[in-house]
Amino acid sequence: MLRLRFHGRGGQGAKVASRVLGTAAFLDGYNVQDFPLYGAEKRGAPITAFTRISRENIMERGVISDPDIVIVIDETLLSDPKAMPLSGLKKGGVVFVNTPQSPLESKERYSITDHVITLDLTKIGLDMIGKPVLSSLAAAVASRIAGIGEDALRDALEKELSGIISDRGILEKNTEAALYCYDAVVPVQMKTTESIREGENVINIPFETARVSSPAINATGNTPLRRTGNWRVFRPVWDYDLCTRCMTCVARCPEGCIQVNEDGYPYADYENCKGCLICARECPAKAINDVREMHSQSEEGEL
Amino acid sequence: MDTIPIRSIREIPPEENMLSGTPACAGCGGLLTLRHCLKALGEKIVIVNAASCFTLLSIYPFTPFKNSWLYTAMACAPAGAQGVRDALDILIKKGKLDPEEDLKVVVLTGDGSAYDMGLSSTSGAIYRNLDFYYICYDNEAYGNTGFQQSGATPFASRTATSPPGGARPTGAQLQKKDLFEIWNSHRPPYLATISPAYPVDLVNKFRKAEQYKGPKLFISHSSCPPGWGFDPSHSVSLAKLAVETGIWPLKESVHGKVEHTFVPKKFKPVEDYLKEQERFAHLFKPVRQEDILKSIQETVNEYWRKHKLLS
Repeated sequence: MLRLRFHGRGGQGAKVASRVLGTAAFLDGYNVQDFPLYGAEKRGAPITAFTRISRENIMERGVISDPDIVIVIDETLLSDPKAMPLSGLKKGGVVFVNTPQSPLESKERYSITDHVITLDLTKIGLDMIGKPVLSSLAAAVASRIAGIGEDALRDALEKELSGIISDRGILEKNTEAALYCYDAVVPVQMKTTESIREGENVINIPFETARVSSPAINATGNTPLRRTGNWRVFRPVWDYDLCTRCMTCVARCPEGCIQVNEDGYPYADYENCKGCLICARECPAKAINDVREMHSQSEEGEL
Repeated sequence: MDTIPIRSIREIPPEENMLSGTPACAGCGGLLTLRHCLKALGEKIVIVNAASCFTLLSIYPFTPFKNSWLYTAMACAPAGAQGVRDALDILIKKGKLDPEEDLKVVVLTGDGSAYDMGLSSTSGAIYRNLDFYYICYDNEAYGNTGFQQSGATPFASRTATSPPGGARPTGAQLQKKDLFEIWNSHRPPYLATISPAYPVDLVNKFRKAEQYKGPKLFISHSSCPPGWGFDPSHSVSLAKLAVETGIWPLKESVHGKVEHTFVPKKFKPVEDYLKEQERFAHLFKPVRQEDILKSIQETVNEYWRKHKLLS
């Protein structure tokens, strides 16, 4: 049995990717399970989805804690202590990372000893579909790594996406981009062993009464420590030559991330700006540009 | 508190009482509403939050708030507010809390709680003339669980439980409840609709509400990028279109007497608003559903005619 785990952020398409892969494998004659980890759905929040593929009947249930293949749709999750995409990956397994970096660079950067495959899905999505929606692209990459046929993938995309995407043209662009990714990935021979990776840090919490175990937060206003800045695909950048200091961007920012400096010019807290770009759209002077983020090319996704 | 109305966004209080880094979606219209509400309300408040998207704002060990926050089940936030208000009153009466240190009790819920599950406990709280604020951010479905239809879902919207297609090409079959009128029938001291796209109007309404003891209720239309299906950057422009097309009237009611606080000089066609959202895409593609579009426009026209603001 092949066990795959997808890691993405809400809105990127991890859930749909796992579904498309499942359908493709099913159409290719396999027994299949696919399902997301249930959680409150939020754009930007870490999302996990699972696919099991087997020639035999699948009797296993529940989340996959020991995957053979991990598909990382959002690179910033690799350093997120809550997501931990590499957790439980079997020795000899394969890690796919959506990044402009080479596999070797990613291996070094994230200290991965297993086989790494990389492709800049975000760029392909933006170039070929016009949006950083990566479900079909990630499904294509996963299908290729899992050894699923191209025709089955094509049929699965049609079957699963036609219910979600009403525009025929966008659906075709998705399929085209997916097949491009399918061909761009070099298939690998995979031999995984069941042994668990070392250094896994699992903490067992004992049962306590409600008064002890209920989480009381005694701090005030500490969410900026979460640093939601790594949700961005584009960052807003101000052109102070055009800025009229009208305060529109400050009033329009849902996060309250935009402040003004001593001279009255606005600037963003990039550590937490989620990149919604309301500011850029609302700016009457058109003084705010959107610039594609390259999280991987800087320290901790800050610049 | 200053009761002279502010005139521009430059006069909005600069203090941020809700900090960044929340788990809310990028471009959340409800969050923008809440940010301005908290600027208007100040720091001395207690939020009583019914289960909704915004219960995820405070997740152990993080909170974006400078104030206290209490989580209740979906149906009973106003009942929770009654308990908090009573506790504060008793502490003041016993001399254990300086009246200067008193807190405003603020209920915060989504439309699922306000329009559906929490309607009876809200009715009870208004009936008892509980001294509290109520902020409902209305994104017109159960957004937190994947956008299922609620009593606030407008006619013809696609939701997870009203997918258009086959025998029912319309999407949601039912009309949105008029929560403003339901609440207004209780004659609360202050009731208003607000929008994240009109922060000056919003802040002024909170300032005006301040003078009244008893229920002060606010319903905010709240643009929802993942649920409605639009790019997060359009969040404010869509909220604005809802007002400019007449779909979301900005109004207030003092002891039951209703006044509109902003009437567009010329109403834009509702289509301008609908066509920007994936949840209404089935009305335009693959075939244009002319009769549905007409009936939505007619419902809006009827509202404004009834209020003698459209001939």
